[in-house]
Amino acid sequence: MAGILASGLGVLAHLERLETQVSRSHKQSEELQSMQAQEGALGTKIHKLRRLRDELRAAVWHRRASVKACIANVEPNQTVEINEQEALEEKLENVKAILQAYHFTGLSGKLTSQGVCVCISTAFEGNLLDSYFVDLVIQKPLRIHHHSVPVFIPLEEIAAKYLQTNIQHFLFSLCEYLNAYSGRKYQADRLQSDFAALLTGPLQRNPLCNLLSFTYKLDPGGQSFPFCARLLYKDLTATLPTDVTVTCQGVEASSTSWEEQRASHETLFCTKPLHQVFASFARKGEKLDMSLVS
Amino acid sequence: MDAELAEVRALQAEIAALRRACEDPPAPWEEKSRVQKSFQAIHQFNLEGWKSSKDLKNQLGHLESELSFLSTLTGINIRNHSKQTEDLTSTEMTEKSIRKVLQRHRLSGNCHMVTFQLEFQILEIQNKERLSSAVTDLNIIMEPTECSELSEFVSRAEERKDLFMFFRSLHFFVEWFEYRKRTFKHLKEKYPDAVYLSEGPSSCSMEIRSASRPGFELVIVWRIQIDEDGKVFPRLDLLTKVPQRALELDKNRAIETAPLSFRTLVGLLGIEAALESLIKSLCAEENN
Repeated sequence: MAGILASGLGVLAHLERLETQVSRSHKQSEELQSMQAQEGALGTKIHKLRRLRDELRAAVWHRRASVKACIANVEPNQTVEINEQEALEEKLENVKAILQAYHFTGLSGKLTSQGVCVCISTAFEGNLLDSYFVDLVIQKPLRIHHHSVPVFIPLEEIAAKYLQTNIQHFLFSLCEYLNAYSGRKYQADRLQSDFAALLTGPLQRNPLCNLLSFTYKLDPGGQSFPFCARLLYKDLTATLPTDVTVTCQGVEASSTSWEEQRASHETLFCTKPLHQVFASFARKGEKLDMSLVS
Repeated sequence: MDAELAEVRALQAEIAALRRACEDPPAPWEEKSRVQKSFQAIHQFNLEGWKSSKDLKNQLGHLESELSFLSTLTGINIRNHSKQTEDLTSTEMTEKSIRKVLQRHRLSGNCHMVTFQLEFQILEIQNKERLSSAVTDLNIIMEPTECSELSEFVSRAEERKDLFMFFRSLHFFVEWFEYRKRTFKHLKEKYPDAVYLSEGPSSCSMEIRSASRPGFELVIVWRIQIDEDGKVFPRLDLLTKVPQRALELDKNRAIETAPLSFRTLVGLLGIEAALESLIKSLCAEENN
């Protein structure tokens, strides 16, 4: 009993001590509060500044670390365990599959003994077209060993601007030019192969496929005067022309219906791919034929 | 009090130094040195691994470094790719030596903070003259979905079945997105009392207000647009909110012509400097 009483007293004493402590600290805090009222603004300011400094420190550290990590990621993963043959082979298959997937980004490549061979794939509206390669040798300065880029694409210009300072930009820029060229070529090829019936003469085109000239009739049998179209693609990274002129020879200048048609054709060539414009001409032609029958 | 004042001064000095270390956020194409360096490093490793490529482990290492390189080069990190092939050649076609194959692809990965999952089909038709391949179906799922500027572009890519344009534009879009976020954050930190990001640093607008000039507000809207050809470019607009009285006093119609002048300013100074000069002009007295 005595033991419990003693401990009970001990607890009481402890509680009393706590009580006095609390009331003392209350008094202290009241005094402090008045002092703090004066220094309140300063304290909050320090608190804010400390937080800002910590955030900035973290940001700078993070920046430096991410640069380092990028370079570190590039080094081989040296902790690859020596698993069974199967596990390794499965991993190999996986990696090969992912490498293959890069072709679909338009930019892919293989490491070579001297550097890297980058493969640029081109496409136009879902149609996968030609691929081109650029073989880069890693030396100072970075050098193009050989390539399959057509001679009329300004490769040297693009390389002079970006190759030494920013490989990524060099390749993406080259990608733009090659994709646009591929797209223009595709449109011209489709026009020649699919809509030869509507053309009244050969399609004239330059190797870069940025200057096209042709004559056509909407209604091959009937319409007496063909339209003459000239398409100029000044922007080599675009697949739509910048300047279009459509003329209709042998027609009186005052004829408004011809003028309307002519103007609408100009707009069409500016806004839609070439072969699609002709596809719509062909469809209209079919409708006309039907009306003749009925 | 003195000790605290001293601490305030010390903190301010440290903050200024840290800011300098964080200053000049790089423009989209300026993180080039990272690519150049990794280029060198991979080549270095590759030279060593090149000699004994028959070994399975070495082969894996070689391919993994290739993967690493491509990931850094394109800015796109592909994590998974699976493919199924279906032969659709009928006996009729075989007689004419035409072969038709359908490939079903599924791939997923990320480009910085954007993750994507693609499912697409490629139809290959091989006849005597040539092989033609076309994407016949394309489905794209992207996260996060709050990048509203991207969703329009994604539907256009799906419609046109333009895989390459999707990846190319995604790469450039994300670079611009990150650059815009960094710039807004940087300006907010530099001018905390003048710059307001009411929709967060990832949004497209930033407000400039000054306590000493209540009623005035400048809103910068910085959109990242993707055009028909998949080209990505920024478009900045300035909106002004000005008290009626100020409008009446504005004989030179500076406020009316502000949006146009702003565009010119951006063209001359570049985005960051133009934004900063706007902030400084509205908050001239507070600028320490």
